[in-house]
Amino acid sequence: MTIVTGKAEARRRLQPGTAGTLRKIWEHRADYAYVLPAIAVMLIVIAYPIYYTVELSFFKTPPGLQLRDKTFIGFDNYTTILTSQVFWKVTWNTLIWTLGSTFISFVLGFATALALHRDFIGRGVLRAILIIPWVISAVAASYIWKWIYHSDFGIIGAVLVGLGLADRPPNFIDNVSTVLPSLIVVNIWREFPFAMIMMMAGLQTVPDQLLRAAKVDGASAWQRFWHVTFPHLRNVSVVTMLLLAVANFNSFIIPWIMTGGGPSNASHIWITHIYELAFGRQRWGVASAYSVLLFLTLMTLGYFYVRALSGNERKEGSA
Amino acid sequence: MSILAIETSKDRFALAQGGMGEPGRIPMTRITLGSAVLRGTVVTALMASLMPTSALAAPPVDLSKWSPEYVRSIAGTQDFDTAADCAKVTPLDYKGRLTFWYQGVFEGDPDLLRQYYKDFFETFRKTYPNIQLEEQALTYNDLLDKFRTALLGNAAPMAVRLQILGGTEFASKGYLAPLKPEDVGYSTEDFWPGAMKAVTWEGVTYGIPTNNETMAFIWNADIFKRAGLDPDKAPATWEDVVKYSKQIHDKLGIAGYGLVARKNAGNTPYRFMPQLWAYGGGVFDEATANPTYEQVQLDSPQSKAALQASYDMYVRDKSVPVSALTNQQADNQPLFVAGQLGMMISHPSDYNVMLDLQKKATGTDKDKAQTVIDNMRYGLIPTGPDGKRAVVFGGSNIHILKPEYVEGGKVDEPAAKAIICMWTSPEWSLKMAYAGSNPGNLNGFKTKWMKERLDNIKFLDVTTSMLPYGIPFPALPQAPEIMNIIIPDMLQNALTGAMTVDEAADDAAKKVKDVMGGL
Repeated sequence: MTIVTGKAEARRRLQPGTAGTLRKIWEHRADYAYVLPAIAVMLIVIAYPIYYTVELSFFKTPPGLQLRDKTFIGFDNYTTILTSQVFWKVTWNTLIWTLGSTFISFVLGFATALALHRDFIGRGVLRAILIIPWVISAVAASYIWKWIYHSDFGIIGAVLVGLGLADRPPNFIDNVSTVLPSLIVVNIWREFPFAMIMMMAGLQTVPDQLLRAAKVDGASAWQRFWHVTFPHLRNVSVVTMLLLAVANFNSFIIPWIMTGGGPSNASHIWITHIYELAFGRQRWGVASAYSVLLFLTLMTLGYFYVRALSGNERKEGSA
Repeated sequence: MSILAIETSKDRFALAQGGMGEPGRIPMTRITLGSAVLRGTVVTALMASLMPTSALAAPPVDLSKWSPEYVRSIAGTQDFDTAADCAKVTPLDYKGRLTFWYQGVFEGDPDLLRQYYKDFFETFRKTYPNIQLEEQALTYNDLLDKFRTALLGNAAPMAVRLQILGGTEFASKGYLAPLKPEDVGYSTEDFWPGAMKAVTWEGVTYGIPTNNETMAFIWNADIFKRAGLDPDKAPATWEDVVKYSKQIHDKLGIAGYGLVARKNAGNTPYRFMPQLWAYGGGVFDEATANPTYEQVQLDSPQSKAALQASYDMYVRDKSVPVSALTNQQADNQPLFVAGQLGMMISHPSDYNVMLDLQKKATGTDKDKAQTVIDNMRYGLIPTGPDGKRAVVFGGSNIHILKPEYVEGGKVDEPAAKAIICMWTSPEWSLKMAYAGSNPGNLNGFKTKWMKERLDNIKFLDVTTSMLPYGIPFPALPQAPEIMNIIIPDMLQNALTGAMTVDEAADDAAKKVKDVMGGL
């Protein structure tokens, strides 16, 4: 009687597989060689900083000392962040900023794409004009909007006062209640062309014969949109929204230039707060822990993004 | 001497009276100083208290006589040969390479300054043709962030010119190499004693001041007149500022006082700290002769009173720009020249900035700007309720880095000393501060360019007159965070209603204690 241990059995089962994998790798050695430089660069500029950020997040880095004088404190930085009132306020801002910007940009972009999908005179010109906000430098756009919103001499305020609709210019960005919505408007203005382009590309893939068949069957415009067009755009919609969400979570330029996170932290979002903690206040450890949290959030979004893409591929493969 | 740099009603510096019975305003070139003896006593005591023992030796100018007349009398009395002086430090044919970052000109600076910066680097390259200079200009608000980041990666430049606030932070962390004026051919006595304090950490000198300045108060006489105020009289106290601001706003519908409360902007502490100190408050005891920085005073009744004054103007009276929370001084300048702002704390360079803005204006705006410039008046910064007057002692310093923090691990010391010798020379420390500051090297006041400057730059007398009232920021490594983040946060919390004045001051005091490690 032969007694086979669990380990030996596992090894036995593994061997052919391992050999197979190695053989496959060897067969594709040229492919690996092609991607090797890119992987090496990624390891240097992405993997190492991520590792270092995670490591630093477990250390106390007193602002009065050099970074090399850091001391290990375990999860204290995470506790500090999660028990901080400011963190929750900033998190709330981040959620409003991200969800508000993403959702409205998408809806506006989609609506514009649907409108531009029809054939009419001047469509090309209009499409080019609508893309302008997306191609303008975010820095330049932020400064322009800062003056448009200016609480004393902004264009909007001047028009409203000039038309007699307001006694004094509205306070857009120097007020804790209005600053975040005002910045979201700027962000939407910049982002919706991206959603528009994505959805316009998606609309090209909707089979025309299906729409015609639905029309012949007596489907209304809404029914054709809801039952034919929209299902075809589901995947591109998910991808667009995820890309927008990731971009918005990482959005730094508009809030930083226009308000610096103020007034009174009312427009701080995670990324601007992390920047201030790290570079303004030199709390490298806390800022690193914060960055790890942001990284995990973005990885989660990234996971769904990849899943959405794989779903697309599977669907296309099976079609 | 306990009051250091703060005037009290009893020993008020005679300059404030201008000898013309107009408290707070100094008419150009006609200042008759009152009691020279009293002034001399106050200034001598002031300077002595700021001065390290060694500096009591022989300063190149007599600080006890400091007055607009004295400054005028010494201007143009001595010639200096910069190249010859610096050749003694680093031979002119020296071959080397230097990386150098500096706080350069930015959008709020006058064009004149831009030209002098350009001239400096051209002259340096001509004087030291074999030194390969790689310079990089950064704005005030960006320099600290970028420099800190570079230090973390051991990628700093060999030499750096930092704002006065930064010297202590980097010296205390051990990034800077010891460097004193004697190392580049000058003596410690050649520089403002208060400025030398800002480059000294635990008894060792780590840099050399390039320029030093104090601000003054400017107002638009035409706006004052139309608002029913005396056009030739500056507000004597901060309470007057609050009152005048309201009166201007109520009568004319424009902003009275140019409040600035943006976070991460150097303009904010430079404008709020004089108010805080005048009311008798402070972050610590930095306004005293021998500060110990042991007790946080941001939550004191005096500090709260200063904050309350800002609150009254912004919230209660709505008499200052609503945009103050996101604005900096560069945003107030166009408002002032457009005749939409009555008064503000002003940099010495603001007169030239206004001239530049006027030149760039077109059509009727040009005439409007000219009217504002014609009506521009400079005076001393107002006092607090007890007659205290104070202003931030500002400026910049130049430093050499330790090799281990520099890209490549090497510092070309002779090359670094060459540029430092030139920049801190009487000639260039004056020229580089021509329109916006004062020479860090006191000998700069004796040059012919100072004489020319006195004739060309209007109101220079007034801004130099504020120098004796200057209080340096706390010489602590935590000072940048306190000044650029905690102080503006306190203002924003109070002005937005996120906190009451009391809560905002208490919150700021707690933050300072935390930053200081639980004071």
